[in-house]
Amino acid sequence: MRQRVWRFLLTYGFWVFMTALTLIPIWWMFVVSMRSRVELFSRPNLAISRFFVENYTNVLTDSTFQRYMTNSIVVSTCNAALVMALALLATYALSRYKLAGRDNIFFWLITNRMAPPAAFLLPLFIMFTRSFRIGDWTLFDTQLGLILLYCVFNLPFAIWLLKGVVDGIPIELDDAAMIDGAGLAGVLRHVVIPLAAPGLAVTGILSWVFAWNEYLFAANLTSVEARTITTGLAEFVTVTGTNWGELAAMSMITLIPSAIIVIVAQRYIVMGLTFGAVKE
Amino acid sequence: MRNNSRIGWLLLSPTLLILIVFGFLPFLYVLFVGFNEWNIFAAEEGLRFSGLDNYRRLVFDDDFTTSVQLTLKFATFAIASEVVLGFLLAQMLTRKFPGKSLFRIIHTFPLMVAPIAVGAIWRLLVIPGFGPVPFFLDRWFDIKYQIGSFPEQALLTSIIMDVWHWTPFVTLTMLAGLSAIPREPVEQAKVDGANRLQVFWYVTLPFLRPVLLTTVFIRIMDAIRTVDEVWMLAGGGPGTRFTGIYIWRVVFPRTDYGYGSSISLITLYLTVVLCWLLFIAISGRRKGEVE
Amino acid sequence: MKKLFTIVLLIAFALLANMSLVSADMHGWWADAAAPYAGTTIRGVSESTPPSNYVADVLAAQFTELTGINVEFETTSWDQMYSKAINDMEANTGIYDFVYIEQDIIYSYLAQDYLVNLTQFAADNPDLAYEGYDESAFTSFADYFKNADGDLFGVPMEAFVKVYLYRKDLFEDADIMAAFEEEYGYPLAPAESFDQYADNAAFFTAYGESMDMDLWGTTVQGSTGHPASTYEFLETIGPSFGLYNWGINLDAGSAQSANGGALDGDTAVEALTFWLSMLPFAPPEATSSTWDEVASSFAAGRAAQGWVYGENAAWIATDESRSAVTGNVGVRLPVTAEGVIDAAAMGDGYIGYYDGGAFGVPHSSRNKEATLLWLQFIGQESVQAEWAAAGARITHTATFDDPLIAEQDTKVDGYYTLLEEQGPLFAGAPPFPFHAQVREVIDPFIQRAILGELSAAEALSQAAVAVDEELERLGYGM
Repeated sequence: MRQRVWRFLLTYGFWVFMTALTLIPIWWMFVVSMRSRVELFSRPNLAISRFFVENYTNVLTDSTFQRYMTNSIVVSTCNAALVMALALLATYALSRYKLAGRDNIFFWLITNRMAPPAAFLLPLFIMFTRSFRIGDWTLFDTQLGLILLYCVFNLPFAIWLLKGVVDGIPIELDDAAMIDGAGLAGVLRHVVIPLAAPGLAVTGILSWVFAWNEYLFAANLTSVEARTITTGLAEFVTVTGTNWGELAAMSMITLIPSAIIVIVAQRYIVMGLTFGAVKE
Repeated sequence: MRNNSRIGWLLLSPTLLILIVFGFLPFLYVLFVGFNEWNIFAAEEGLRFSGLDNYRRLVFDDDFTTSVQLTLKFATFAIASEVVLGFLLAQMLTRKFPGKSLFRIIHTFPLMVAPIAVGAIWRLLVIPGFGPVPFFLDRWFDIKYQIGSFPEQALLTSIIMDVWHWTPFVTLTMLAGLSAIPREPVEQAKVDGANRLQVFWYVTLPFLRPVLLTTVFIRIMDAIRTVDEVWMLAGGGPGTRFTGIYIWRVVFPRTDYGYGSSISLITLYLTVVLCWLLFIAISGRRKGEVE
Repeated sequence: MKKLFTIVLLIAFALLANMSLVSADMHGWWADAAAPYAGTTIRGVSESTPPSNYVADVLAAQFTELTGINVEFETTSWDQMYSKAINDMEANTGIYDFVYIEQDIIYSYLAQDYLVNLTQFAADNPDLAYEGYDESAFTSFADYFKNADGDLFGVPMEAFVKVYLYRKDLFEDADIMAAFEEEYGYPLAPAESFDQYADNAAFFTAYGESMDMDLWGTTVQGSTGHPASTYEFLETIGPSFGLYNWGINLDAGSAQSANGGALDGDTAVEALTFWLSMLPFAPPEATSSTWDEVASSFAAGRAAQGWVYGENAAWIATDESRSAVTGNVGVRLPVTAEGVIDAAAMGDGYIGYYDGGAFGVPHSSRNKEATLLWLQFIGQESVQAEWAAAGARITHTATFDDPLIAEQDTKVDGYYTLLEEQGPLFAGAPPFPFHAQVREVIDPFIQRAILGELSAAEALSQAAVAVDEELERLGYGM
């Protein structure tokens, strides 16, 4: 009995401690978002003295901010959907078909995520503004451009994650479905997708979060129309005084959608992240 | 395994198309530029072929070699801490206790914060004048904490920041790995009289190894490319001038495209080699299982 | 008689009609001139500073109403702004119709022939030349945007100098004054020499400590992760000691004193040594401070005196929502070594940096005509005063006499008068076609000197060598 009490206290003590460590930085951001500019430089105080909501109202009522928000939502969601679809097809191909140099293709796919971004911005910029040009339309400063570009970073990760999952689905199930008269689409729809659902969900979520959070490419490959929320954050850093209050408020707002997704999809994340390491 | 490879390639083609256009073509461009001397603000305009000059220059560039050392130091310490901490947390989360999912959700939060916001948060925490960290360290422990004055502190802060941001990811993958371990071997080992440490070492760890390596692999790729959060935190001063930031400085403010490209390629190459070794370790294990 | 009356009446009517015609004409001129371009959208990139926010929020709307030309602003951070504008102009993509040109980058842009010659362009298109816009109405600051022939390449939109700010409430406090005089043997006053500056800094740091206040003796813009520290040394501290043009001798293509440069010379070492010696008297955030944090620290009352960009002086002195020292800000010329002011007055050198920016039209723009109209609109006399009051920037000589500015001037302890009268003592950045490139090379050495890894002399001699290597590489070397 005594041991159980100890264990109970230890478990909760540990978790409360970890939770505090996790939350203090976020809490501090919230505190900052509740301060006016003069109050910021007073001695640090982790408590909130008053609710100064002007930072939030300033940000939320700004039409530019609303446009950024819409762009971010559209880009992240479309990118996640696209990545899920393409990655499923690709992993199915890699898993089921005899393709020459399969392992090398797989590894090459992954190396795409390793490139240091800065130097690649220049060719991408030229490509976005010149190569993809139809009349006056260019890929630069469009949601489509970002949606496609983020695939370069999300697809390798997604394929890797799904590869194990699809490998884990016995090929006999495919065969059984085919004997029942299902075509490739049928196999994917009735066999692979249901069984790979947690993996697919986690792929989608992580892709979504990556696209939502990406900064460097969004900042350089958009101008006015397709700017995303993270690039908006950097606009508060100016010569005449970084507006920390509004920056913090905006960060808090940015956090909300991803937090909601995590809470809702928590269960799938753990189920899907096995990288097919252990075959069931 | 099906032999109809045409359908296979067809299924793979959209992925390959996107990656070739937006990944491989830029790579070729960077490869080409890396063999040229090209600074748009040079007296002479345009590219001048210079062979391997950029690569020669890079070997003697102290700023570059220092940045690689710093990056490796950063990646090693950050990832090691994340793995140890993440594993412990995952282990704790396999137990059942009331409120578990709440703790897990809260613990996942940092993963969802945009890197640039992470940098902003930590800057707000550690800049003297309004950050609570230096204030309380000074008051309680009499420690001077100024990331601008002490490069080691800047490095330490960026490691802690990275651990805060990415440990949840490790925890989740570990948790996934742990929960997929079949029960029988563990039970069997216990019946055979193995103690906890032995169970961990001889049963759990081998099962976890692929997940562990994969996680480390992913973290290495991302840690080496880190720019946004460290940029916001410390601007890439002497303690935090990582390779990613150094490349940024060379390519953008300095507009030295030729040199910047060659550094990028070397960095990419180093990352690929590092990851290839890990990849062999992973797939080697897989093959072993099959045989 | 009746006839005469009618004539008078007619004349009066005609006059009246004519008068209303004049103002309608003004209105009409913009509409007529812009008629071919109505409905087009021009886009510019700028940092989100108060002056450019005023342009984006107020002037752009007025202009659109008058002409039907839409103005879009991309606001971004300082670092981003350059890379985006340069990418666009270099690749000739035509994303931006006007770009923000900070004074120090203008020579790089001119050397690359990125910008449209505005004087020439207006002369070639007389239909587009607005008579209310006059290039000679600008202050001398506009000269930094002209080529050798006197043609203008950018319409100035903000201008300021880096001044010495001090806390009047502290400097004029009787107890503090007495304590200072007792310790140093001479009365407390805003610094006029470097020794006095150092005394003030030491005194207020000690005073802050003894009173358990968050107060230090000076600001230092000493960020070790940002070019701001290099800028403070090269643009403010260096010149005030007599180190000009970054110590680079462009004719000789070298920064080393052995070859005619001055970056590793005695003056430079003396200047850097002095500046570094101020670090212990600066608030702890100094080594993380760029220009904006320096202004914030001063506004929070954490420094008794310091070098602060003039664009911040106005809000620090007047804006209670952001500053804790409103009403207590004193403004003076920055401290200089002996003879430097006289030399500057003779046109031989300068005492500090005349900073600011302009909007220019890149050659890559596809809407040059519409953009020319827009730039003339923001460059005309009539919009200046309110803009100046909102953004603490002055680009027209006449704006100094505006009642709005005169009123503001008293609140900012004569900052505008100082700008008007002493402005010519300051100078823009040296006319280098390689501004950012060489600054990037100097940065790490200044940063390591701040960290104490290198002495002032070591840092500067290594920096001079590195600068020479970069000049060589760029093709401007010996």
